[in-house]
Amino acid sequence: MKQRKYHRARSDCLSRELYDEVVVYDPRRDVGHCLNSTAAAVWKLCDGETSPSEIASALSQQLSSRVSESVVHLALQQLVAAHLLVEPELSVELPSRRLAIHKIGVAAAIALPLITSVVAPTPAHAVSCLPGGAPCSSGSQCCSGICLTGSCFLGGTKSQRSRKPSSQDATSSRLK
Amino acid sequence: MSTYGVCVGLRISIPGVLPRLLSLLPPGWKNSPQVVVQRLYSLVIGVAPESVGVRRLHVLYADTVPVARGTGLHQMLEAFETDLHRYTAAASSEMTFLHAGVVGWQGRAILIPGRSLTGKTTLVKALLCLGATYYSDEFAVVSNSGLVYPFARPLGIRDEDSYAQTKCTAESLGATSGFGPLPVGLVVFSEFKAGARWQPTPLSPGHGTLELIANSVAVRSQPRRTLGRVHKVARQAVFFKGLRGEAHEAAASILNLSSEHQRLETA
Repeated sequence: MKQRKYHRARSDCLSRELYDEVVVYDPRRDVGHCLNSTAAAVWKLCDGETSPSEIASALSQQLSSRVSESVVHLALQQLVAAHLLVEPELSVELPSRRLAIHKIGVAAAIALPLITSVVAPTPAHAVSCLPGGAPCSSGSQCCSGICLTGSCFLGGTKSQRSRKPSSQDATSSRLK
Repeated sequence: MSTYGVCVGLRISIPGVLPRLLSLLPPGWKNSPQVVVQRLYSLVIGVAPESVGVRRLHVLYADTVPVARGTGLHQMLEAFETDLHRYTAAASSEMTFLHAGVVGWQGRAILIPGRSLTGKTTLVKALLCLGATYYSDEFAVVSNSGLVYPFARPLGIRDEDSYAQTKCTAESLGATSGFGPLPVGLVVFSEFKAGARWQPTPLSPGHGTLELIANSVAVRSQPRRTLGRVHKVARQAVFFKGLRGEAHEAAASILNLSSEHQRLETA
């Protein structure tokens, strides 16, 4: 069987295009990413079979402007760091980010690839809550999820607050 | 009872407290004939002690898990409201709940997403004083078509020192509450900082969507639905972000931004 030589875009991520940007949600890591036009174009071309130089020439055609391989390497670096690519079966070493930027130089004709990421909140973090030290009567009122002797605890979130509502919940309670 | 497609049961040991409990249910709740519910709340009211030195405790359960326990009934009711609203927002599949203040202005919704204590309610209140219609100070409820529905519970205005909430209705502030769904015109990510000057900068739709994801209650459990609905919001809205000082200064500018966006869209 032929081994995959290059990076491949993860197929389990959810994505939506917004004009020239792409928003990607990684359900495995619960992280959202915004890919600018260059990063998005590289990500879409990562099929495991196309080499960085082939991606660069495909991009050059798409954007009607010469795109160097270093730009593709920089995009791949960021996509790997964001866990949006599946590693190749044969090990391929990408040049360092510093080297890639150095090669691109100061006058790039296209936008440099850029990925912005946010961690998705748990339900407890995405609703109004009380800060540490505020008076409380239950953990659900506190941002930390912990109400200790009538005051919200200053520390981190209780793991149970992030529990997802499961299908089991729908059938577990029965009115008597 | 059911609301936004979430079916919840209520039990109480003293029926006289029920009207107070019902007043805390999410807006638009209905009686449900269903026997099987997704969550069952039970409020056990502590009876008066017969002997001196014995405290009577009230206990609130969500299914079998004790959510709150204490001697004050008011605290139990507050805990019930918090937990129920949070559960509804997390479990609803009919709607996507974003943590945001919402007002209506000239037929469009203005969303103000943000974490706790960033001044959403204060800004909503300032917008109402300038003539906006009240939709919510806690959740933007987004439907499949990307429209925002009201979640017009009374505004919870916090005291800066004690964090105690005072409830007031939009009508008591001289404003009106919205009823129908609205398309989103403007999304403003703002945070209060004493002395800051309101100079909002535009955000790209992609970055705006990312910020909305960061304020989605159920994105972890319903990523596909959330992303789809947030995407629809992003396609119709413009996004701005910035620190703000006093709410009334930012409020006037936000309404101007919204009007300007609508003017450009119709031109």
